[in-house]
Amino acid sequence: MSNPDTMDVLQKAGKKVVLLGNEAVVRGALEAGMGFSASYPGTPSSEIGITLAAIADKAGFYCEWSTNEKTAFEACVGAAYCGVRALTAMKHFGMNVALDSILPVVYTGVKGGLVLVIADDPGGFSSAQSEQDVRYALRMGNLPTIEPSNAQECIEFTKLAFEISEKYETPVVLRTTTFVNHCLGSVKLGAMKKPRTQGRFEKNYERYYNIRPAIQKMHRAVLERLERIEKECAGKLNRVEGSAGGKKKVGIVAGGVCYEHVKELGLKDVKIAKIGMSYPISREFVVKFLKGLDEAIVVEELEPIIENFVKQVAKDVNLGLKVHGKDILPRVGEFSPDLIYERIAPVLGLKKKDWKEQEKLLAGIKIPPRKPVLCQGCPHRSTFYAVKKTLGENFVWAGDIGCYILGIYEPFKMQDFVISMGAGAGIAHGICKVSGQKPVVFMGDGTFFHAGMPAIANLVYNDSRPLLVIMDNGITAMTGHQPHAGMGKRAGGKDAPSIKIEEVLKGFGIKNIAIVNSFNQKQVQETVKEFAKKDELAVIISRGGCRLLAKREARRSGKDFPVFEIDQAKCTKCGECVMHFACPAILKKDNGTFMINPDLCWGCSVCGQICPARAIRAKVKTV
Amino acid sequence: MKFNVLLTGVGGEGVLLASAILARAANIEGYEVHGIQLHGLAQRGGSIPTYVRFGDKGGIYSPIIPRGGADLIIGLETIEAARSCYFADKKKTNFLIDTYTVVPVYANLSGVKYPSEKEVEKMIAPFAKSITIVDASRLTKEKLGSALYGNAMAFGVAIGKGLLPLKRKSLENAMAETIPRDMEKNLQAFKMGLEFRG
Ligand SMILES: Cc1ncc(C[n+]2csc(CCOP(=O)(O)OP(=O)(O)O)c2C)c(N)n1
Ligand code: SF4
Repeated sequence: MSNPDTMDVLQKAGKKVVLLGNEAVVRGALEAGMGFSASYPGTPSSEIGITLAAIADKAGFYCEWSTNEKTAFEACVGAAYCGVRALTAMKHFGMNVALDSILPVVYTGVKGGLVLVIADDPGGFSSAQSEQDVRYALRMGNLPTIEPSNAQECIEFTKLAFEISEKYETPVVLRTTTFVNHCLGSVKLGAMKKPRTQGRFEKNYERYYNIRPAIQKMHRAVLERLERIEKECAGKLNRVEGSAGGKKKVGIVAGGVCYEHVKELGLKDVKIAKIGMSYPISREFVVKFLKGLDEAIVVEELEPIIENFVKQVAKDVNLGLKVHGKDILPRVGEFSPDLIYERIAPVLGLKKKDWKEQEKLLAGIKIPPRKPVLCQGCPHRSTFYAVKKTLGENFVWAGDIGCYILGIYEPFKMQDFVISMGAGAGIAHGICKVSGQKPVVFMGDGTFFHAGMPAIANLVYNDSRPLLVIMDNGITAMTGHQPHAGMGKRAGGKDAPSIKIEEVLKGFGIKNIAIVNSFNQKQVQETVKEFAKKDELAVIISRGGCRLLAKREARRSGKDFPVFEIDQAKCTKCGECVMHFACPAILKKDNGTFMINPDLCWGCSVCGQICPARAIRAKVKTV
Repeated sequence: MKFNVLLTGVGGEGVLLASAILARAANIEGYEVHGIQLHGLAQRGGSIPTYVRFGDKGGIYSPIIPRGGADLIIGLETIEAARSCYFADKKKTNFLIDTYTVVPVYANLSGVKYPSEKEVEKMIAPFAKSITIVDASRLTKEKLGSALYGNAMAFGVAIGKGLLPLKRKSLENAMAETIPRDMEKNLQAFKMGLEFRG
């Protein structure tokens, strides 16, 4: 699908195609003539960067994967300062990382349009860590925010975001949620604009010197700008549909995918306000909408942000007006049309649907749960197994973010906490200082470059001595295999200098550094045994390529991996390969025997190394 | 006209590609398409349900299929179809199930049994207007060398049996435009599906 010639995002104007929400954002950027993009992957926003990287050369704009969201945002600021339209995409947690730079850029403003796509994830489909709502932070930063609700609007609103950004010289946020990023929708394509990729930085004391006393003047200007945006744009991005009939006049306020959910219900006699610009919200628009209503319902996922605004406004319109929101709708998890109907039906005087019969039947469905797992042949599994086999259970397992987060589940349970990228090492340091425990820190290579390095520097600087295991699978895997600074490749597969993790660690002054092959159990186990005894900071770089990528490559080149099998005569049925190694390709059959599913085995060979009976070997190809 | 397909399977099976093909085929016929491809953490061996909804303009809004609202549930893995029964209703939902099985690691670990085909059929029956079970992955592996062509065969069955109100040609074109390689074998698999009687 990465062949730009056949990609729908690049089709001609006027064509009707189906795009993923994320692809539609990219199309919007192309129609806006964006010349520069820099991102850091994070689902549900990842396909924006993936698509941008795939088409950059053909479409003629600059594209990179940066080292984290902060550097990505800053790169875009540089381009926008020079008058080039720039776009960065990140997940909600990425905004936390970039926020320190985002807030002051609202003060300096920009010359070229600067659009930040920030994706929230209600329900946590694509994220562990927490369920946050970025809209609070966007208000703190006085950042104009618009929220598309379907794929077509992802195109239109991205274009609008660039226009608003350039007209008012402010960064603009396109805030999405998982169901918008990953929605599929029919769209009609508009004309693409030739990207302008070059500009020039002009010194400007008035604009860029944000220190006292100018800071207050700039702050005031930001607030005035917001007022102008509220007057001139906010209302235009919203619209009212239908009218409140019925005895009780009820209106519903919704934006983003919640608007689509509400429309799906096909409610009669209800007035609907669609909010396209969620910050600033047009007060005038809301006042007008509320007039004549008896009750209003704000349908929004996560925090009561639009709700609080509507409640404030309602007081001035009609003291008797009742505004519902989080009193009837949850503050946790994602919404669906069914959930919304269930919760608002009583307010509308409608009958709830009766699902009792279906519920009873659903209780009869007894199937095993299917949690995500490390792929068969994953180097991380081999490393986890070796560490646990060697050290037992009595260590603190400091976790981090990446595919290896899946080590949180049975049988490994080797992520005692998972906080944010780089936090495993950061927290381990504190644990070292106040307890006699020795944490083992697991950190991916991608995470090392994102936020791991400062945390490791702190271990060295303030003398903590955990065992650090770098899970180096050679790529940013979990988010869909993006290149990083250690790989020697950059976006679009172009060659780049490769920053060697071991050289960085040496540069930090760390003496105990070992590089092991993740797939070599003996080597990993022996090294772990030796390094865990060190009374100094010790780092094991467990290096083994992401098996999913290797498998794809092997398939493509026709040199596929061998498949392994269990010699039933030798197998003692001890269950080590299933109960402690937990490879998804190995099954325990109902009759108590074990077998390797040849369709699933990716030939990593590690099961053969850990089998106490030496009953597993590579199968000689028969076909 | 409004038609809801729930296409589900497990990570690595090509579920996302399959739903993209379906969406494209509906687009070729001029329908308005909405749907969702949820792929986060679950892409590593988890359940991946995708929704493809198509119909006349202005009839569909939400990307989510309503409870009990699926017209067709395609399970590219046996128990994943059963996991989707929340969206099924005996009055309207046809099931199409590939007997491809991936036993979840945690079933092994926790001792929860992976049900047999017969048991799955029994669980689904109260939710199903019809159930079609086909060894698509097994047959395509035998005949064409890879279980991955099973998805194309499943589409063939859906068209052949009239479970999916789209034209054969649209599906073929959609496959040709979406699948990066091995088009020949995918078309063969599709044809095997069209000819499937069972
Ligand atoms: C601040 C922030 N940005 C992005 C993400 C999304 N994210 C989740 S896992 C991951 C990949 C980490 O890569 P690596 O450490 O190399 O682990 P791998 O997946 O390769 O095992 C990313 C970027 C996040 N959780 N937080
Ligand atoms: S994608 Fe790669 S790193 Fe992630 S679980 Fe699979 S093999 Fe392991």
